[in-house]
Amino acid sequence: MYIPFFEKHVPSDVIAAWVSVIIIGIVLATYVIKQNKWSVIWEYMRTTHHRKVGTLYMIFGFLFFLRAGVDALLIRSQLALPQNEFWLFQFQKYNEVFTTHGTMMIFFAATPMLLGLMNVAVPLQIGARDLAFPFLNAVGFWLFFAGGMLFNLAFFFDSAPAIGWTGYAPLSTSLFTPDVNSDYYVFGVQISGLGTIFTALNIIVTIFRHRAPGMKLMRMPLFTWASLITSFLILVAFTVLAIGLYLLMFDRMFDTKFFNGPDGDPIFWQHLFWIFGHPEVYILALPAFGLFSDIITTFSKKRIFGYPAMVISIGTIAFLAFTVWVHHMFTVGLGPLVNTVFALTTMAIAVPTGVKVFNWLFTMRGGVLRMTTPMLFSLGFIPSFVMGGVTGVMLSVSAADFQFHDSHFVVAHFHYVILASTILGIFAGIYYYFPKITGYQLNEKLGKWHFWLFLIGYHLTFFPMHITGMNGMPRRTFTYDVGEGLTATNFISTIGAFLMGIGVAVMFYNLFITIRKKERVGSDPWDGRTLEWTVASPAPEDSFQPMPIVKEMDPYWYAKQRGEDLETTDEKLASPISRDSIIPFIMANLLAVLSFGLMYGWIWLAVLAGAGVFMCFIIRAFRDEREQYYGKGEDGHESV
Amino acid sequence: MKRLMLLSFVFLLSGCSDIAVLNPKSVTGQEQAYLIWLSLGIMTLVILVVFVLFAWFTFKYRYTKNKDGFVPTDVKGNLKLELTWTIIPFVLLAILAVPTIMTTYDHSPELQADNREGADKEGTHINVTGQQFTWTFEYENGKTVHDELIIPEDETIVFHITSKDVIHSFWIPELAGKVDAVPGRVYTYEIKDAERGTYRGKCAEYCGIQHTNMVFNTEVVSKSDYEDYLKKPDNQDD
Ligand code: HEM
Ligand SMILES: [Cu+2]
Ligand SMILES: [Cu+2]
Repeated sequence: MYIPFFEKHVPSDVIAAWVSVIIIGIVLATYVIKQNKWSVIWEYMRTTHHRKVGTLYMIFGFLFFLRAGVDALLIRSQLALPQNEFWLFQFQKYNEVFTTHGTMMIFFAATPMLLGLMNVAVPLQIGARDLAFPFLNAVGFWLFFAGGMLFNLAFFFDSAPAIGWTGYAPLSTSLFTPDVNSDYYVFGVQISGLGTIFTALNIIVTIFRHRAPGMKLMRMPLFTWASLITSFLILVAFTVLAIGLYLLMFDRMFDTKFFNGPDGDPIFWQHLFWIFGHPEVYILALPAFGLFSDIITTFSKKRIFGYPAMVISIGTIAFLAFTVWVHHMFTVGLGPLVNTVFALTTMAIAVPTGVKVFNWLFTMRGGVLRMTTPMLFSLGFIPSFVMGGVTGVMLSVSAADFQFHDSHFVVAHFHYVILASTILGIFAGIYYYFPKITGYQLNEKLGKWHFWLFLIGYHLTFFPMHITGMNGMPRRTFTYDVGEGLTATNFISTIGAFLMGIGVAVMFYNLFITIRKKERVGSDPWDGRTLEWTVASPAPEDSFQPMPIVKEMDPYWYAKQRGEDLETTDEKLASPISRDSIIPFIMANLLAVLSFGLMYGWIWLAVLAGAGVFMCFIIRAFRDEREQYYGKGEDGHESV
Repeated sequence: MKRLMLLSFVFLLSGCSDIAVLNPKSVTGQEQAYLIWLSLGIMTLVILVVFVLFAWFTFKYRYTKNKDGFVPTDVKGNLKLELTWTIIPFVLLAILAVPTIMTTYDHSPELQADNREGADKEGTHINVTGQQFTWTFEYENGKTVHDELIIPEDETIVFHITSKDVIHSFWIPELAGKVDAVPGRVYTYEIKDAERGTYRGKCAEYCGIQHTNMVFNTEVVSKSDYEDYLKKPDNQDD
């Protein structure tokens, strides 16, 4: 079929995508018009409040998670049988699908959903009214949104990138992929990465500057600790990624030769990418560790075992995360010495991780374990994650990695780690914080169905993949032969994947009916331990009035045990002032338009959009949301 | 879930003898497989400890009706225990590190200035070139063949690996681990004492649209057959 903008004929999967998006769009639009929800949409487009921005992060992160999940099911359908020809997903289409799957999962699903949870919970955990820079927070979110949407657009124009989520040069340079496909990767990831850096800065300053009186660093909940350290990781790692992507952009747009030719070197890209990429794994894992720590303490009715060791091991892991990147490059031929050194540093990282696992176990020991849905996810995490950690140590044995590398064994390993920590963590976090976000509590029975389906599906998918890999199946290949001994394990993996899909569908249904039922819960539905459970559900815009005084770890729990209320003070802390603004939305989306112009060589569009972004800077520079409050004391809210 | 895992474990053990990488057909591959087995062994120990503690604690301390209203005593930590699970892993990893270092030093591919450097190494030399989407093998007498690799048994084969365009990776799972083929660089990689047989070779680094089909056939033959093979004309255009 010939359609303008598409030089070639339009494949049926792209048509299917257009049709379904249009149908969903019409359904949503009718709903919005019928229910007259425009004001809500307008409100969320302009909001700078941490809970609302966090909610947006979660909604769009979840949307992209679904998209990437559909990709996963397409991959697994193609791999179900040897020499299979599922729909169109061979050759280029397959390459596009695993590229979007990986890229979307890492950059547009896992990372943003964690940032969303941080946005919601961190200020509440430390007694802050909002993040330190509310405006910047909105900018951060909309940049993620714009980058994600730009990246998604690629598929609809039948131009999805096909260079893997790692974008290895020289394949990703204009020499070998001259079309716009790879540009979508470069620009989409770049824009959203920028947003991630901003949000990380915001979290760091918030935690250092806006803690309630008495909330010393060593009294902070572990999720806050993890968020703090993760934010430092983001700051360094995403900056390195941004540099790498800039160089790649220059190679692609202006024929510089950073990553190929006699002066450049494709290996430079790998170093830059993995100096980002390995810490990224911990950017995904650490916040989940923090969440699990909080959830396990809450539902064991015990404080965390070895709090200082937990904090130190988060720090140690974060530090070591920058010293191990070459374990992704053992087969690149950097020589025996380099391979050995990085094998040792990689092994070392297992030690603090092990400390955390045992401390979780001993937190449970002697407690009363309430098997709520968030707790189930946390319990599911422990053995699953340990299995992923174990294969991690096996991969660190560099000479053995010559066999494992780039095979399905690695695919099994990193899904074990990421799904156990990040995805189970996000699910746990959603169930745990849903009351703080919406005021409703998700259905526990459906939650348990979700948990068991997902967990069983997860092991069924990825456990056999270890064997598939050791039987010689390279990753990123779309088929295999009958006699290779790969059929049984691949088939089981596919069954597992669909089981996981059903699990997520159950969760979706749960979200749907819970929001429809509108049964409000109180401020403390889980019998919590930390400050976030003292504020109303959903968290109001004017939280912590008056300000609590913190005298110990888990202050709310111990106050409840003594039958007291938390002590409060009328003293005011400097607190951020949030004013709704549409500028972040406009600015970020114009940046996507600018990229679009550059990609397709429509310079006029790029210039116009660039001018627009610059105008936003100027407008912003001349507006001061504190103006109203000058001379009215430190706390603006009081005098309004 | 437990039963499921147990089942898959049995499944794993029973299948082990057929798993290519665990049962390789060259000395190089066997040394690598030894490391895999060793690390798997040590790690199984760790897994067992964690799983037993996990199952025990989850079962014993789960909520039951008679625990209603019971508030457990807080435990802040325990230095001795925490030191134990810091030090023991360290020791286990140290045990694993020694053979890792030794084998890694032995097996790591080396960067060469060009195809000729490293030619003094003992063994049969073969130049391997990856190019979208074929493998080219050049033997010592200049014979050049695509997508088919013939090597003599029980000898050290020194591969000189490079690429003409993007990065590929040279891998024969049943013989030994892989080495990337990088444009502008030549690596030497040795595979020692392969057994006679036919094995599949693959490209393990994603290189573009036909990556999946960038496979080659490997045959390990007797030394005399190898000599005969070298004398035959290429039979291939190049
Ligand atoms: C929901 C169930 C999931 C299934 C069934 C699944 C399946 C797969 C499969 C089969 C591959 C290998 C494709 C190939 O090499 O040919 C893959 C690659 C990958 N997956 Fe997943 N996956 C799932 C979830 C996730 C999640 C949650 C993440 C991360 C947050 C993730 C991140 C990745 C990445 C980074 C790759 C590598 C892509 C590449 O090679 O460029 N996946 N996935
Ligand atoms: Cu890594
Ligand atoms: Cu390839």
